[in-house]
Amino acid sequence: MTAVTTIETSTAATPARGPRGLLWAMLRLHRWALWFWVLLVAVGAGALLWAYGPGADAAWSEYRTLHCDTNDPGLGCDALGPAYNMYDTAVGIGAGLLGLAPFLTAAWAGAALIGRELEGGTAQLAWTQSVTPARWLAAKLAVPAALLTTGMLVLTLLHRTLWSADGQLRAAMGSRSWYQGTAFEANGIVGISYALLGLAVGVLAGLLQRRALPALGLAVVGLALITTVLGTLRPYLWPLETLTNKHEYPPYIGMVVDEGALTSTGARVGDPICVDDTKCLADHDIVGFYRDYHPSSHFWPLQLVETGIVLAVAALTVVIAFRLLKRRTGAAV
Amino acid sequence: MTETAIEAAALTRRFGRRRTAALDGCAFRLPAGSVCAVVGPNGAGKSTLLSLAAGLLRPTEGAITVLGQAPAAVRERLAYVAQNKPLHPQLTVADTLRFGRELNPRRWDDRVAARIVAEGDLAPDARIRTLSGGQRTRVALALALGKRPELLLLDEPMADLDPLARHQLMAALMADAAEHGTTVVMSSHVVAELEGACDHLLLLGAGRVRLAGPLDDVLAAHRLVTGRADASLDPHTVVESRTTGRQVTALVRPEGALGDGWQSTAPTLEELVLAHLRTPEAPALHLDDAREAAV
Repeated sequence: MTAVTTIETSTAATPARGPRGLLWAMLRLHRWALWFWVLLVAVGAGALLWAYGPGADAAWSEYRTLHCDTNDPGLGCDALGPAYNMYDTAVGIGAGLLGLAPFLTAAWAGAALIGRELEGGTAQLAWTQSVTPARWLAAKLAVPAALLTTGMLVLTLLHRTLWSADGQLRAAMGSRSWYQGTAFEANGIVGISYALLGLAVGVLAGLLQRRALPALGLAVVGLALITTVLGTLRPYLWPLETLTNKHEYPPYIGMVVDEGALTSTGARVGDPICVDDTKCLADHDIVGFYRDYHPSSHFWPLQLVETGIVLAVAALTVVIAFRLLKRRTGAAV
Repeated sequence: MTETAIEAAALTRRFGRRRTAALDGCAFRLPAGSVCAVVGPNGAGKSTLLSLAAGLLRPTEGAITVLGQAPAAVRERLAYVAQNKPLHPQLTVADTLRFGRELNPRRWDDRVAARIVAEGDLAPDARIRTLSGGQRTRVALALALGKRPELLLLDEPMADLDPLARHQLMAALMADAAEHGTTVVMSSHVVAELEGACDHLLLLGAGRVRLAGPLDDVLAAHRLVTGRADASLDPHTVVESRTTGRQVTALVRPEGALGDGWQSTAPTLEELVLAHLRTPEAPALHLDDAREAAV
């Protein structure tokens, strides 16, 4: 009679199975979440497509009707017209969904995907079928990740298409720049990576809390913390360009990160706001002004670095989740 | 060939920050093919033991082997029904059985599962959330039996059932187990529910094994005796004794012939269990061949 004290780590007794069974279970169990996601993507895509076609046309025709593009603009050109507002709202819905998706994902993953299953015991029900906890968790991550990536990619591509087409309109209306939060995220791959991070954070929160509602809270708060930190770091993820100028500030271009005055030793100091008072400038030894900024050519480097960091954090979160699950269940992989 | 269904050695599981032991140094051996009753008061560690056997928890100390391997390695060969009968509320009965088929592709037997469900007059398209407690139990058992397990772990399986359904499901369970040689481990604090169905007993109290062994042997090792209050019961082990006036009634483990002054009868399972539950200090009795837990 030998008592085996080691926890088996081989997979000999749980042979590899096709993903069909778990895939079926995932799609069936989370049918409503799937439909909701399809609906969300459809709404976002619809809004962006409308803006791309009729929305932009209406905004342009309004612009021309008011003669805003001539030397004799109508009075209405001082404010944005209703057609442009409609257009802007539609773009905002599309881009806003891209920004909202990570948080919705985190809340859903924490509460419905993991927390509720651990709370009610249905996770354990799956683990006592022929499915190891690790495979269960892998399916819980892989299926939503694939659907999230697809949906986010559709919205991102539409937003990019729109963005590349409506440059003149944006310039005419003086709205939205490439570096502003939603536009920056909706035009590149960083938005997709945040959705995946939301999934990972939600899953870990669910495993930590083991109850739906606390997991939902933890997931959203956790993701908000990470996105706030990364959003604050964003301008420093790629070397800045600097413009300097004597007597006055250099032109304001792109994402300006820092600006101020220069002394004769080249030191950067806060602007004493002398305006044109030469005595004041001399007193403070101000000989010029500088601006640190990112030109629009830094868009992709900034995107890639931030995406890399977000995906690394997401990967780390997933590793922690697997380890936590393994430690708790003592399960073979 | 596995002759031992479950073997535990110094099995301990602690919970929470205060490291309270739900199971504390349990050792027992359950032969394959037996139908074992795990009995004990609330909080004795029955559910913890079944979760450990199902590979859902890892032991804090000691080891548990199931079908000769670590529980996590034999996931495919065992079935487990938790106390609260967890099922996905949004699924229909038919989808719940499909869930079992999809997640157990190499073992699933649709006929077995469908029969258990059909006996309960359950509509296949009824959603789980609309079912009564007893109906849920039936679906949970159908899911467990459809997997064709070699070891069936049932935590308080019959608690939600009316007497008729209990009788019928227990009969179905026992018939299935007998037909396929399934080992069944069933926990309960209702002893009457288990009598007649089980051939092996595991009595837990405060996380420790109090009694373990084949039911007949355990019963045969005890006598319920009645005699004069001043008579001595040495050298027999007294599990519990109660004095009423000048008469004493005691449950003893005889260490030889009982004296002439004693009237003795065989205890029922219920009497045996209750006597042990009322006297937590009574010594444990192991009639399986497990090694004693390290103290």
